[in-house]
Amino acid sequence: MTRVGTVALNTFREAVRDRVLYNLVFFALVMIATAILVGQISVGIEQIVIVTLGLSAISIIGLLISVFIGVGLVSKEIEKRTLYALLAKPLRRWEFIFGKFAGLALTLTVNTAAMSVGLFLALFYVKHSIERADTAVLVAVYFILLKLTLVVALAMLFSCFTTPLLAILFTAGLYIAGLFVHEMRHMQAGTIDPALGGLLRGISYVLPNFENFDVMGAAAHGRVISGMLIAQNTIYAALYCAIVLAVAMAIFSQRNLK
Amino acid sequence: MNLKSYTALFLFVLLGLAGVGHLQKYIDAQQSSAANEDDQVMLRSSKLVKGLSLEYAPLAADIYWTRVVQYFGNKQAGKQVDLRLLWPLLDVTSVLDPQLMPVYDFGSTFLSDAPPRGAGRPDLAVELLERGLKANPDQWRLYYDLGFVYYFDMKDYAKASASLYEGSKNPKALIWMKTMAAKIATEGNSVETSNFLWQDVYNTTKDPLVKKNALRHLQLLRAEEDIKQIDTLADEYQKRFGRRPVRTSELMQSGLLRGEPVDPLGYPYILSEAGKAELNSKTPLRDKWFKEPASK
Repeated sequence: MTRVGTVALNTFREAVRDRVLYNLVFFALVMIATAILVGQISVGIEQIVIVTLGLSAISIIGLLISVFIGVGLVSKEIEKRTLYALLAKPLRRWEFIFGKFAGLALTLTVNTAAMSVGLFLALFYVKHSIERADTAVLVAVYFILLKLTLVVALAMLFSCFTTPLLAILFTAGLYIAGLFVHEMRHMQAGTIDPALGGLLRGISYVLPNFENFDVMGAAAHGRVISGMLIAQNTIYAALYCAIVLAVAMAIFSQRNLK
Repeated sequence: MNLKSYTALFLFVLLGLAGVGHLQKYIDAQQSSAANEDDQVMLRSSKLVKGLSLEYAPLAADIYWTRVVQYFGNKQAGKQVDLRLLWPLLDVTSVLDPQLMPVYDFGSTFLSDAPPRGAGRPDLAVELLERGLKANPDQWRLYYDLGFVYYFDMKDYAKASASLYEGSKNPKALIWMKTMAAKIATEGNSVETSNFLWQDVYNTTKDPLVKKNALRHLQLLRAEEDIKQIDTLADEYQKRFGRRPVRTSELMQSGLLRGEPVDPLGYPYILSEAGKAELNSKTPLRDKWFKEPASK
């Protein structure tokens, strides 16, 4: 595990060196500008828009980092030929994959935590207080983080067997498909061939369901998010990441790197 | 690059930007003359907009709601009464985020108020509020809004009473809602009820625009009452002197009025040639608000 930790820590350092965390400044500026502007141009949604915009920004920035850096984690090492030096050391291929995944997950956690602080500061600026109902915002941030780790796992899986461009397209495509799982499952009978409907329903259960992590509306309106959902989503994300990473490790272990 | 080159570059950028800014004004003028208002709601299918918004539908709803406010505000500022895009905008917003309460609260007012205050579509306001109640059955406030639309804009006092009564079943509802439901069921329209409802809006709202609207309605209600009183005095004058008065000064000279009667904004009431009391032509109440009496 020490070897995995070393790879993870170096991945985090590399991300910081690549100025990934610079987006935090952009995020802070967006939140401040929004907090001031929205009160002037709209009616009755000052707090709601801070939450929805903040969570959307955390999600979008996180997704960009997850997909683009996630895909580059393996391919860049191959391109720069630094992977050969690494694998020459006593480091197993699965340890390399898991370490890279953990490193980017750590980067995303730091990034998301910092943006959450900015979001709560903006919320405090507008409301002049933080209430118990605002814990729903924290849960929403946690769900975004779960979603991002799942996206990183997918990006790494695709980058193990295809080109970076295709890996980005596959990850983005699967992510968008994962947002329409409910629609796939509930296609109107009569508008679609029954066999195709059955196939789509079947696929909908194995696709990563990113709708599970969408509680932005509930957070914006201060609705309580059940502890059971938090537990279920945590297990779902962990299980799905484990499956995807296991496949990624298996593919990468078999890959001919010559 | 030397200093001369930097200066030349700086001047080029500065002049270039000034030129671009100037050119933009001409482009804006061209576009505004050819602008089609329908472009403001390019995507009218709420389902399509929701699909395109991916998981960011609540944020898209906030953006759409801001567009509603801006659209309505611009129309009001421009004294335009054509608000046909208000419903498509509200429709999309309420589908994007069914829990966004200001859409129902303010949107129903924008839709139901008679022109020029609103779109004059209480039927759509009812549709919007019923949609809101379907998504948020525990929100007693929506029953209150529905009762308001039925009472003031549709004059359907049975439905107004039923809405207020339904809302009053919620333990968090305003304490007077049940009493008011009974009062409306018995009396129908009354100045006292209208006054009470608008006074409650005035006292409870935090939004300055809504407060101003409620104040205007309250002022108008008082003006209506004043006018009825003056007409009664004019009837009395006619009984005594055999003719209708044509000036309020005649009512004062006869001792029926103690002083010059003024509206809530301080403008004196006038009497028409037929001897009927009216608002002064100079009062802002008449210009903007007296197209339709508030209590009816």
